[in-house]
Amino acid sequence: MNPDYAGLFLALKPETALVVGAVAVLGLDLSVFRRHAAAERLRLALWVASLAVLTAGVNVWLGPRGPAFGGVLMLDHLAVATRLGVLVLTLLTLGVARGAAVPHQPAEYVAVVLFAATGLMLMAAAQQLLLVFLSLELASLSLYVLAGFDRARPESAEAALKYFLFGGMASAFLLFGFSLIYGVTGSIELPRIAAQVSLQGADPLLMVALVMVLVAFGFKVAAAPFHLWAPDVYQGAPTPSAALIASASKLAGFTLFTRLLWPGFHAAVGNVAAPTFGPGWLPTVAVVSAASLLLGNLAALAQSSLRRLLAYSAIAHAGALLLGVMAAGRSGPAPLFYYASTYGLAAVGAFGVISAMERGGRCEYITDLAGLHRRSPLLAGCLAVFILSLAGIPPLAGFFGKFTVFAAALRLGGVAGPAGWLAILAIALSTVALYYYLIVLKQALIAAPAADARPIRVPRTTALTLVAAAGLIVWFGLDPAQLLGLF
Amino acid sequence: MSPLQLCVAFSSVLFAVGLTGALARSNSILVLLGIELMLNAANLNFIAFWRYSPAPSPATGVIFVIFAIAVAAAETAVGLALVISIYRHQRNIRLQEATRLKG
Repeated sequence: MNPDYAGLFLALKPETALVVGAVAVLGLDLSVFRRHAAAERLRLALWVASLAVLTAGVNVWLGPRGPAFGGVLMLDHLAVATRLGVLVLTLLTLGVARGAAVPHQPAEYVAVVLFAATGLMLMAAAQQLLLVFLSLELASLSLYVLAGFDRARPESAEAALKYFLFGGMASAFLLFGFSLIYGVTGSIELPRIAAQVSLQGADPLLMVALVMVLVAFGFKVAAAPFHLWAPDVYQGAPTPSAALIASASKLAGFTLFTRLLWPGFHAAVGNVAAPTFGPGWLPTVAVVSAASLLLGNLAALAQSSLRRLLAYSAIAHAGALLLGVMAAGRSGPAPLFYYASTYGLAAVGAFGVISAMERGGRCEYITDLAGLHRRSPLLAGCLAVFILSLAGIPPLAGFFGKFTVFAAALRLGGVAGPAGWLAILAIALSTVALYYYLIVLKQALIAAPAADARPIRVPRTTALTLVAAAGLIVWFGLDPAQLLGLF
Repeated sequence: MSPLQLCVAFSSVLFAVGLTGALARSNSILVLLGIELMLNAANLNFIAFWRYSPAPSPATGVIFVIFAIAVAAAETAVGLALVISIYRHQRNIRLQEATRLKG
């Protein structure tokens, strides 16, 4: 292979823009902005970072398509769409961070957000096991740091430590699985692995490797039974970090593993269209999906903490998204991408509302939302859009996400096989989800405010961010072809 | 048993020891140690599969291991920083006492 460094540079221009932006944020903070107050330093760092993200977005849009650097990177429609999605969600996270409590070292915080975004963007395009591992670790290590960034609160440190210990174990499983895949197929490039697997069929050692990879996958997207970190991290991490973990990290994780499993291992896929499973990774994904749907929805019913409720509902959404992964072989990745990206928008928005409320008091329990419509009509309206989209009410994007994913799952083999049963289970559990989402909305829109509640002042940037997220959700809901037509 | 089989058996045992340590220990540094053992088991696999591969191949396995060692070092750095941050709050690093978040 003759390495094509010019092509690599062109393909990685967006990532370069993000890293240069992160270094610029750190350098400027150390030199020019050093004497400013912390809030002012955060504002300037966020402006520089937003500029870097926008530059990266333009470069993704205008950049090259197709394989790059001898097939190490694959810039197909899915990769480009995911990279743009990650950048949009990162930009919204930066907007949320503008309104949140000022972190101890504002510039470092913003720089680590940019490094996380770099890792997530590489995840979207990786087509070689080494790059998969490195990009996943870059993103994960940045997210651990972001989760533990609030040094004053013990909850933040505890959340980060739990996230790190679970994540470290998951990445060890992933590396061991990759080493077995390398041993069985003799290659670390996905196209060659695919060719070798279709030659050998379902080797037992390969099945062990796939199960180990699925453990890491389950951890990354917070699917049951690897979800244990999620509620603690959502509750303890600083709000903008939780928003990034809930949105962009999920979108990139699903893209990465869909690419790894479908083109890489479609010969060892198994069968979920009929009750006779057959050896492969698809039945395992089906079991994880069912567990996530059940556990996420039922555990969310018992929550009194708003963030933990969002975390358990995120586990349930991961179960539904796994249905999209199962259907991606037949219907393509479009339903999965639509669901994951619109879910990300709603999750960032919900955390944005939480962070704006924390400025004027606390927002820990669902009852803290009481009387939001009086305290800040803007926040209440945006929260209604986000929560209704998460619940899947038409015409918002969450409804069409569920619709396309369930339709694709039913197309696998009708209701005769496990995929169809799972789709029916997911539809039935959507009604459970509607119940706990409406409890949140009841507090925000109907309940009277507490006696000592004051109006909430929302900073302009945060208001703009929330309105943009809500607008995108409505727009994609009214015109789903905008996203579905990308593929 | 062939050398390759011995190597893979050894690395599997190492992985199991690391996993047991990571799951059973309550001291967070010992959990970190268990995770490192698991990563090193995978590294050993890469070297063994590269060394005993049937066709002479480019040094893919070795290069993968060099990157993996660097990543493991970075991971340990982040992990120890997080252990220190929890030590600042609860004055020990026992995982049983990290129970503020639950529900």
